[in-house]
Amino acid sequence: MALVLHAGTGNKNAFKALITAEYSGVNVELVKNFEMGVSNKTPEFLKMNPLGKVPVLETPDGPVFESNAIARYVARLKADNPLYGCSLIEYAHIEQWIDFATTEIDQGIARWFYPRTGYMPYLPPAEEAAIAALKRSLGALNTHLANNTYLVGHSITLADIIMTCNLYLGFVRVMTKSFTSEFPHVERYFWTMVNQPNVHKVVGEVKQAESVFPVQSQKKPAQPKEPAKPKEAKKEAKKEAPKEAAKPKAEAVAEDEEEAPKPKAKNPLDLLPPSKMILDEWKRLYSNTKTNFREVAIGGFWEMYDPEGYSLWFCDYKYNDENTVSFVTLNKVSGFLQRMDLARKYAFGKMLVIGSEPPYKVKGLWLFRGKEIPQFVLDECYDMELYEWTKVDITDEAQKERVNAMIEDQEPFEGQALLDAKCFK
Amino acid sequence: MVYNPVLYGLKVLHSGSTNKNTFKVLIASEYCGVNVELVKNFKMGVSNKTPEFLKMNPLGKVPVLETPDGPIFESNAISRYVARLNADNPIYGTSLIEYAHIEQWIDFATTEIDLNISRWFYPRAGYSPYIPQAEEAAISLLKRALGALNSHLATNTYLVGHGITLADIIMTCNLYLGFIRLMTKSFTSEFPHVERYFWSMVNQPNFSKVMGKVEQTPYVQPLQSQRNPQSKPKQLKKDAKKYIVKESS
Repeated sequence: MALVLHAGTGNKNAFKALITAEYSGVNVELVKNFEMGVSNKTPEFLKMNPLGKVPVLETPDGPVFESNAIARYVARLKADNPLYGCSLIEYAHIEQWIDFATTEIDQGIARWFYPRTGYMPYLPPAEEAAIAALKRSLGALNTHLANNTYLVGHSITLADIIMTCNLYLGFVRVMTKSFTSEFPHVERYFWTMVNQPNVHKVVGEVKQAESVFPVQSQKKPAQPKEPAKPKEAKKEAKKEAPKEAAKPKAEAVAEDEEEAPKPKAKNPLDLLPPSKMILDEWKRLYSNTKTNFREVAIGGFWEMYDPEGYSLWFCDYKYNDENTVSFVTLNKVSGFLQRMDLARKYAFGKMLVIGSEPPYKVKGLWLFRGKEIPQFVLDECYDMELYEWTKVDITDEAQKERVNAMIEDQEPFEGQALLDAKCFK
Repeated sequence: MVYNPVLYGLKVLHSGSTNKNTFKVLIASEYCGVNVELVKNFKMGVSNKTPEFLKMNPLGKVPVLETPDGPIFESNAISRYVARLNADNPIYGTSLIEYAHIEQWIDFATTEIDLNISRWFYPRAGYSPYIPQAEEAAISLLKRALGALNSHLATNTYLVGHGITLADIIMTCNLYLGFIRLMTKSFTSEFPHVERYFWSMVNQPNFSKVMGKVEQTPYVQPLQSQRNPQSKPKQLKKDAKKYIVKESS
């Protein structure tokens, strides 16, 4: 009668039990039609392992989960199994290397591999730390295998089976030849092991990865706002048991391809008739003018300005009596400017914090594309409603002069000292 | 030297005295009637870097058991060895399936409980980089694991069978670090059966002999050596510096 092992094909944790069974003359069979993510969510499965993790072995005396435990059970089905050594100390050393294979090797490889599959948050500093720890462990293993053909004693034991299966995931997914060449004795050991008949029967042909498994489900390129990614990946991690590799790879890639190209919504400001004023040119003029600012920059501004394509606005913070602490006030303004980032292509602004003592007054000047304040800015940036907005009447010389004073951070401004001036460009 | 006629003799365990991994071995030896002694004057970070120590465990990890037949590292393996010094030891179960289940829960205690508690604790203690999202992930995995454990312990007094086994010793020691450093009452109250189990275990005579009095932490281990607060945007930091000076005048 065969013992039934619930797992998909290609699962390195299932290999452990299957290889052990080959060595022990025990009949263990993989369940048919196992679908990762589906078969292990059924109520029947969860009765066997409440965490829904794979593999699980069904025995006449009840189910067993945790791949190492299953392998041990299978080994012990055969009395005096040489896989378990022939003395107490050998047994202890076998357990020692099984634990090492789990806590040092499997852990290190998993922390490197699974975030790249998109099943856990991908965090470069965490990956770096995982690789460093893995190298340390492989170094120790390498040293041991320099003088030992097998982990314990002079023949294959359960420790070798488990160690090899754990290394397998590393070799086929993340550890390229240049990585493993630093650990030549581990290489020797691994290739010898996977070519043993009982191992080869289960694992099949093994090809070392030519490149590190690429990072999957990277929705945002280059400038990652970290919170968005981990939430997606965490959802995935909750759904799938992280120990599975084979099938999820295909699923992850498929999902990535579907979601990535989302069409960008067209901004209505792009549909306005073209203007002779180019915002970037003004920003460059503003930034690069170091001397004769009034003549060169301000003068240049009014030459470029196109009242049909652009508009100027004064803003006045409605709650100035709140501004009792200087750096808190400045932080408020900084926050506002950060939240205006979405308008960067369509706006230029100066924010002044005025006064030599609290309460400080916050006033600003803004240049927007279009003759009105853009609707998407009002919708997306909640600071907008904290200010009173008045359109500048450029026929009024006094207002025009106020615009100039704000652009050049004139001090005193309207009779008061400036605490700070911030520019949005 | 005095040799216990049944066992192999004095076994010396190299470790500090409050290491939860050491507790595993010491508690197991209490249950098995095995004589295990802690080495004297062990200094963490010093004693485990000497060439002699590294010959026993090339990774320099602790604990390590010295036996007449050679050294053993990995706390779970040491505990298993100690348990087997006494043939037919009840802490290893009384049947093959019980044995399998004991190993199953030992592995669970290691890969699900210990791992996630460590990933929560060690960055806060300053031993590895503190990354908020990684901590978040670890806590969520720990909760998942504790949930499964809680369900099992709702209908089982012990992890396996009707008495304490090696699985209980190892699970309790792994939970111990969590209880005394990270998991406050409000955190563990979500897992009442785990609470029942833990307090039951640590108050067994063989446990309290080794661990002493156990007190649940009232707060999460605070972050140590935080040099780079990661959440503040650059601009803010600059301004804060400028104006803190002004404030003091």
